[in-house]
Amino acid sequence: MRTKGFAKHYVLMLLPGLIWLFFYNLFPMYGILTAFKDFNPGVGILKSPWIGLENFRYMFELDDSKLIFRNTIFIAFAKMVGNLIVPLTFALMLNEVKNKLFTRTVQTAVYLPHFLSWVIVAGMMLDIFSYNGPVNQALAALGFEKGLFFADAGIFPALIVGSDVWKEFGFNAIIFFAALTSINPEMYEAAAIDGASQWKRLIHITLPSILPVAVLLATLSMGNILNAGFDQIFNLYNPTVYSTGDIIDTWVYRAGLIDMQYGLATAVGLLKSVVGFFLISVSYVLAYRFANYRIF
Amino acid sequence: MRKGILTAMSVLLVSASLAACGGNNGGNGGNGETQNGNAAASNNGNAAPAANNGGGSENTAAEEVVDPFAKFAEPVEVSIGRAIDPNYKFDGTDTAEDNVYTRWLKDKFNIVVKHSWEAAQGPDYQQKVSLAISSNDLPDAMVVNETQLRQMVKAGQLADLNEVYEKYASPELKAVYDSNPGLLDGVTFDGKLYALPETTLPSAPLTWIRKDWLDKLGLQPPKSLQDLETIAKAFIDNKMGGANTVGIVGTQQGGTLYSTFLNSTDHWYNFSSLFFANDAYPGIWVKDKDGNAVYGSTTPETKQALGMMRDWYAKGILDKELGVRKSTAEVVASGQAGIFFGPWWSAYNNIPDNIKNDPKANWRPYAAPLDAAGKFNSNQATGSSYIVVSKSAKHPEAVIKMTSIHKWGKDDEFNKLTAGKQMTSQEVPLFLILGAGDQLEYAVNSLRNYLKGEMKLEDFDQVNYGWAYEMAKHVDKIKKEPFDSYDIETFDQAADPGFFTHIYAHLNGGSTFVDADINWVRSIATAQTKTMESRWTNLKKLEDETFLKIIMGSEELDAFDTFVQKWKDQGGDKITEEVNELK
Repeated sequence: MRTKGFAKHYVLMLLPGLIWLFFYNLFPMYGILTAFKDFNPGVGILKSPWIGLENFRYMFELDDSKLIFRNTIFIAFAKMVGNLIVPLTFALMLNEVKNKLFTRTVQTAVYLPHFLSWVIVAGMMLDIFSYNGPVNQALAALGFEKGLFFADAGIFPALIVGSDVWKEFGFNAIIFFAALTSINPEMYEAAAIDGASQWKRLIHITLPSILPVAVLLATLSMGNILNAGFDQIFNLYNPTVYSTGDIIDTWVYRAGLIDMQYGLATAVGLLKSVVGFFLISVSYVLAYRFANYRIF
Repeated sequence: MRKGILTAMSVLLVSASLAACGGNNGGNGGNGETQNGNAAASNNGNAAPAANNGGGSENTAAEEVVDPFAKFAEPVEVSIGRAIDPNYKFDGTDTAEDNVYTRWLKDKFNIVVKHSWEAAQGPDYQQKVSLAISSNDLPDAMVVNETQLRQMVKAGQLADLNEVYEKYASPELKAVYDSNPGLLDGVTFDGKLYALPETTLPSAPLTWIRKDWLDKLGLQPPKSLQDLETIAKAFIDNKMGGANTVGIVGTQQGGTLYSTFLNSTDHWYNFSSLFFANDAYPGIWVKDKDGNAVYGSTTPETKQALGMMRDWYAKGILDKELGVRKSTAEVVASGQAGIFFGPWWSAYNNIPDNIKNDPKANWRPYAAPLDAAGKFNSNQATGSSYIVVSKSAKHPEAVIKMTSIHKWGKDDEFNKLTAGKQMTSQEVPLFLILGAGDQLEYAVNSLRNYLKGEMKLEDFDQVNYGWAYEMAKHVDKIKKEPFDSYDIETFDQAADPGFFTHIYAHLNGGSTFVDADINWVRSIATAQTKTMESRWTNLKKLEDETFLKIIMGSEELDAFDTFVQKWKDQGGDKITEEVNELK
C-alpha cells in the first residue's frame, strides 16, 4: 500500500490461493449450521428444521462434555510441551557431537517413526506393553508386579503423550537443526578466544540464537492445541480409560458417525473450533510480543 | 471493501447451497420418472414377450407374470458400496468388482455391478455407510445395519420396494420371508417396504472347549459356572497352552462385553454366556416380575454376574488383557487358549486357523454354563443386515433379482464356473444370509440321517434347502465313522478342503445348537426410541466404562449402584417409559 500500482498483480497472485481457501476451507463451513438444526440428510442441511440452541443446551448438560474438554486440553498441552522440549534438547545435544556420520545416522533413525501411521505404531505399543510383553517381563524380572498399562486410566495420558513425543521428536528436531546451522560460527570462535567453556557457549550463544524459533513454534502450536490426536487415541483406547483418554474428536466420532447424532456432534465440534480460534488469536498476539513475529 | 467481500461471499454461499439442494431434489424427482420408464422398458424387452405397448402402466405390469430369473434385454447397471475383506484371496486377477460371480451375473442376466466405493469390512465399512447417508451421496444399493436403516427411512432416502418385490422376487425368496414371520413387517414403515432383511441366523453363545485338553486332564465337560471355573483353572495351572495360557478368552479392544438389542447377532467372543448363566440379560430390554420393561444392564442379576466376573478376573480365570487385546482370534488360533464363547458358526472362523497349526485341536461346543435352575439361557438374536435401495436408483428391480439369483439362480454354467468353491460375500455383491427359519435344523438333521443311511440324496428338498443338499454330496468323503461323534479325529480334513469347514461347522457346532434346550429371552425393543437417539451415546459410554472397570478391578462392585442411579437420571427412566409403550 506504500507505493502506487503495487497492489494489482500481487493481489492477482493471491487469487489461486484464495479460491482454494474458499472451496476447501470457507465453503464447507456452512456445515456448521448442522449444530443448530435437527439434521435430516434426506433434505440436506439448509432444509432441515431449526432447533436453535437445543444441541448446545444438551451438550452442557452432559457430564461428558466437561470431561472431554478437560482431557483434550490436558493431553494436547502436555504434547505441546513435550514436543518442544524433547526435540530442542535432542538437537542441542546432537549438535555438540562433531562426528558427522554419527549425527546423520542418528537423525535419520529418529525421524523415521514420523512416517509410520498410528495404526502401526499403536499395534507395536499394545504388544510392547501387553501383559506378557517385554515391558512387563522386565518389570517381573526386577520383582515388580505386572500391570495392564493400557487399561489404567492414570497411566493412559502419559502413554499417549510419551508415544507421540517418541514418534515425532526426530522430525520436530529438524527445524532446530536448521536453526543451529544458521548461527554464525564466528561468534563461537570469538567466545572460545575469550575463554568461554562449551557450556557457557551453549547458554550464551546457542540458546539465545534459537530461542525465537522455539517461541515461534510454541505459539503456533497453540492454535492446534485442541487437536489431541484422533488417530492415536482411537487406536489405543478402550472403555476403561474413557475418563482420562476420551477426547473431543473421539467422542464426536462415536456420537456423530456411530450413533448418527449429527447435530450434537457438530455442536461439540463447533465449540472446539471457537476455542481454537480464540487460542490462535492469543498466540498470534504472544508471538508478536515475544518473537516479533507477525503476518500483517 | 469489506462489505463488498461479505456480499460476494454470501452470494456465493447461497447460490452454491441452492445448487446443492436443487441437485438433490431434482435428482430424486427426475430419477423417479426415469425409473418407471426403465422398468417398463426392460419389462417389455424380456420378461413379458406377450406384453402390449402399454406395458409401462403400473397396473397392467403388476399383473403380468414376470420371470424373476430372466435376462434383462439391455445391460442394467447397479452401483453399490461394498465391504471387502483385505485378506481375501481371489483367483488370479479377479477383484471384488470383477470376478467369476459378477461376470456370470453380467453374461447371464445383464446385471452390471459397479462399485461406488469400497471399504474394509467392519468399522471402516460402517463408517463409510454412515458418511454416505449423512452426505446424501448414496449408491443405488448397499447393505446397512438397523440404526442406519432407520436413519435412512427417517431421512426419506429409500425407495419403496413394495411393487418391485411383488413383481420381481422369486417364489423361493417370498417363501423364505413367509417362513420367517414378522421379518418384512420389521422393515415396512407406513406401508412402504424399505429393505430386504437378512434372515435370523440362529445364534446362542455356546461354550467352546478344547476337548483334547479335557481328556488329557481327565475332566468332564462343564455344566455349571463352577465347573467352568474349575476347568479354566486346570488349563492354566497345567499350562495347556504354554507358559502364558489364557483361561477364558474375552473381549478384544473395541469389542463389547455382551450382545445388545442394537447389535444382537454377534455373541462371538464376548461374555454373554456368563451373564445368562446368572439369569442376567444386559444390553437388552426384558420384563421384570410385574411385566414392566426394564433394561437388563440395571438389574441385580447383572450386578451379581459382574461380581462373579470381577472375582474370576482377579483369579486370572478371565483373559488378563480383556478389552485391551488387539485380536482375540489370534489367541485361539495360536493355541494359547482352550475356552471361548461363541455361536455355532464359530467353527467357521478362527477354529480352522487353530486346526491348521494343530490338527489334533479338538474344539467342541457345549450348551453351558447353565443357570442355578439348570436352564441354558440365551437372548434371541435378530438379523442386523439389510439391503436397501436408494430412492434415486434407476433399477430397484435389478437389486431384487440379484437377491433371488444369489440363492436360487444357479445354473449348470454357474456350477461349472465355481466348481469346488463356495461363493462368499467377497464374490457376491449385496450378499445377504437368506434361509428358511429352520434351515440349520434341516441341514444338521438331514446330514445326520444321510450318514446313517436313513435318507438318500434325492430325498433332500433341493429347492428350499439347497445348501444342505450341496453339503450332503460331499459329506461322505469328509465324515468318518463313528457318525455320532463329532470329534476332530472323525473328520478327514484333507479329503475335500473346499467343504471341510462347512461340514465340520454344521455337524460340530450346528448339531450341539440344534440339540440344545434353550430358554430364549427376547428384547422388547429392537431399535432406538426417540429419547435414545440423543441419549444413548452417553448412557452406553457410562455402561461400558463402569462394567469393564468393575470386572478389571479398578472400581468397586458397588460402583454398579451409582451407575444405575446415574443411568436413570440421565435419560434412562424416560427411555424405559418409551420402551414400556412398545410392549
